[in-house]
Amino acid sequence: MERDAFLTRVGRASLTSKLPDPPAVTPELPEPDETDLQALFRSRAQMVNAVVHGPVSRHGVPRAVVAIATGHGATSFISWDDLPASGVASALQTAGLEKIDHVVPAENRVEHNLTYADVDIGITGAAAGLAESGSVVLVHGEGRPRTASLVPEVHIALLDVESLDRTLAHWAHKNPTLPGETTNLVLVTGPSRTGDIEQELNLGVHGPRHVHIVMIR
Amino acid sequence: MEGPKVQLFVTCLVDALAPEVGRATVDALEKAGCVVEFPDGQACCGQPAFNVGLVGEARKMAEHTLDVLDETEGRVVIPSGSCAVMIAHHYADLFEGTSRQEQARRVADRVRELTQYLVDDLDSSVRARCDGCTVAYHYSCHGLRELGLDHQADRLLDATARAELDGAKECCGFGGLFSIEMPAVSEAIMKDKLDRVEASGADVLVGSDVSCLLHMEGGLRRRGSKVEVRHIAELIGGGS
Amino acid sequence: MSQPVTFLSRAEALIGTHEADAVGTGVRNFLAMRERSVEVFPLIEMLRDRARAIRLHSLNHLDRLLAHFADQVEATGGRVHWASDAEEASQIAADILQRAECRSVVKSKSMVSEEIELNDHLESLGFDVVETDLGEFIAQLAGDTPSHIIAPVLHMTRRDVGELFADKLGVPFTDDPFELNRIARVHLRDVFLEADAGISGVNMAVAESGSIVLVTNEGNGRLVTTVPRVHIALMGMERIVSRWEDAAVVLETLARSATGQHLSVYTNVVTGPRREDDPDGPEELHVIVVDNGRSRILAGETAEILACIRCGACLNACPVFRTSGGHAYGTVYSGPFGSIVTPGLYGMDPWWDLPYASTLCGACEEVCPVRIQIPRMLLELRKQAASEGRLPGWLEWGMSRYAKTTVDPSKWARAKRWASWLIAPLSSGGWVRRLPGPGRGWTTSRDFPRPARESFAEWWRSNRGA
Repeated sequence: MERDAFLTRVGRASLTSKLPDPPAVTPELPEPDETDLQALFRSRAQMVNAVVHGPVSRHGVPRAVVAIATGHGATSFISWDDLPASGVASALQTAGLEKIDHVVPAENRVEHNLTYADVDIGITGAAAGLAESGSVVLVHGEGRPRTASLVPEVHIALLDVESLDRTLAHWAHKNPTLPGETTNLVLVTGPSRTGDIEQELNLGVHGPRHVHIVMIR
Repeated sequence: MEGPKVQLFVTCLVDALAPEVGRATVDALEKAGCVVEFPDGQACCGQPAFNVGLVGEARKMAEHTLDVLDETEGRVVIPSGSCAVMIAHHYADLFEGTSRQEQARRVADRVRELTQYLVDDLDSSVRARCDGCTVAYHYSCHGLRELGLDHQADRLLDATARAELDGAKECCGFGGLFSIEMPAVSEAIMKDKLDRVEASGADVLVGSDVSCLLHMEGGLRRRGSKVEVRHIAELIGGGS
Repeated sequence: MSQPVTFLSRAEALIGTHEADAVGTGVRNFLAMRERSVEVFPLIEMLRDRARAIRLHSLNHLDRLLAHFADQVEATGGRVHWASDAEEASQIAADILQRAECRSVVKSKSMVSEEIELNDHLESLGFDVVETDLGEFIAQLAGDTPSHIIAPVLHMTRRDVGELFADKLGVPFTDDPFELNRIARVHLRDVFLEADAGISGVNMAVAESGSIVLVTNEGNGRLVTTVPRVHIALMGMERIVSRWEDAAVVLETLARSATGQHLSVYTNVVTGPRREDDPDGPEELHVIVVDNGRSRILAGETAEILACIRCGACLNACPVFRTSGGHAYGTVYSGPFGSIVTPGLYGMDPWWDLPYASTLCGACEEVCPVRIQIPRMLLELRKQAASEGRLPGWLEWGMSRYAKTTVDPSKWARAKRWASWLIAPLSSGGWVRRLPGPGRGWTTSRDFPRPARESFAEWWRSNRGA
């Protein structure tokens, strides 16, 4: 159907719609009560089975990441180019891990996809953390592939404690235009999971089974 | 000194099938200091017809009920949450934009469910009594969700030994004519409810709506249960 | 064999089966989890009010929002297609796949795709379609349909799944859910990475930026919308809000109502296909906006049902759903939501009885994140069904007689005496074990009280004066 015909039909339907009046709401979102955002974030992230490290200094981040990677026996990694701490990729390479290229070519896409199918670790930054849900916010773009937090079994997210906010609703209110500025904005709340079989919770279905969040002070 | 004068709307089910609940309601109100009147000619608020979508029939019964009650003054007290909701909320829908709109509003404003009246309006000191027995309370859906009856019965029962009833606020499966239009489903929901009633260890199942109570009592009898069933008025009024 | 055509006959076949029991236990768990999450997050009540206001606003301005959304999608390099009905939607999807030379398709969960029966259509045209949401994957393997919108195979046990995998995937039998998940992960991993196209649903579209929001727990929703070179998103036309902060408010209520999680594991916000500097993402993004009867619902008394955000809470709270399961409702949309939306989309033939599959207990409205007035709309639909003469003759006749009787005090007094007199011989000890006619529906499982010898009105007259 053509757009105009479709929308005209919708517009006509609206004329006879019996919709109730909306409830009265305050124009601004009420502020949440005061709380220790770091403690709340840590508690909620742990509740969804993420592992929270630190806070460490910016200098200490490469060491922390190498420890996590070797703890998993990792041999390869994908990483964002632009991370909140420098030296992470080189530290991992020094520790013997292979860095896998992450730019997907338009040709031979499938072939490329299969080469990173077995990557062990993906490392990303985080634009923000949401304390109420224990989530990290990933803004993708140049040098920041989506696959880093998706394909490997282990995802390590580097998060500045300064960027913690209380809830998604409050954070979105402060960042109203963000989705339009990136092709893909993702909130990650713990490792991938399912309860589809008898509601028994299991982790690591299609996405990562382990999520590590390294907090940076 | 005479207490408040109240008009009893006893409901068709109580009138025909459970008059002892009506008598107990009168006792309870008198114990709370009220003078009870019984408007002549009352019968059914029209809910059974309204709930199946037969609004024409519902309107006939509602008009009659409005005329009976409008002849009187004072609070209209009803020992049933669902009938109270029908008059207090749904009569407005039935008569919106008609010549009876104002009458419907006037009568609706006077309506109180029994426990709501005793606790919220009168803050009465009357209490339910059940000596030597444990009581489980079932919150009937319409009263609970549409009149906010989530604490009144608890106050009235605070002198009894109370058994905890799992799923006390879940539907019993009666649902009006649903009970005979979809009998297998009604029975399945009832079974869940009665399993929980029996598991609670209570001697007496108490509620505030005779419709739910007759359904559950009928089910308990059918499964040979020893649990007795009472309307809360019977534990306050004692019957006569 | 033909499908039973009434809710009651479908429910009768399901009540007491292990499928229905599994659903009953499962939904009680969901409800308990929702309760807990609401307790720890008191802001939720305020957010529910805001979410309701946002969704009603969207429905009031739907054509304008859809136009703005489409402009924005196109400005970011995506394409928007408009499907009047199910066939058109499926055909548009097939055309997109054909033009882009896609053959293998991976799907993440989309109720709209099930509503329009997309898989059947694509498979008949030779496309290879694999469901990747674990529950949907299991249902697809079993040739079954989902029994709950959030937990598609709530009705299957681990043993059922183990036997299914052993049979269809040729793996050794196991009934350990952890192992079964690993089997699915390994099996589907290459399928994802090699697929030409991904088809997803849309949880919420954002008009202002032309974004679509998809929420999943497993990661398949992200894989499907990131890895293949073509992404097709199927969107019910009502699933839209104005701004990103509106979507955020709605998202705060969605997962909490559905499963008690604060947020789903992945909240995936997609705006257009891959841009020049993006290292990954699909080359093409297509959004198919589907009507398929929604404008008819919008035009009528049950327009409010379109505010639904598909959390499944009403299913979990409903005593009828809990005992009968999702398959009793006859279409992909079950529970209280389905009882309203199915007759809305497809008409009263044969769906007029769905609004009667309810005790009007109101538990649904109580848990709905956007406070939809479900019982009010069930009553509206019942009014419509009754006015169309769909009620059984005995009920219409009986109610007409009852009304005539109760409005006449002497008739009512007489009727009570007659009822007592007539039913007495059927009773013993004040109770009746078997009633005739429609009364049989009562007495198959309950005793019925014999009407009192003296009614309350008679007692009052005798003891308290006229």
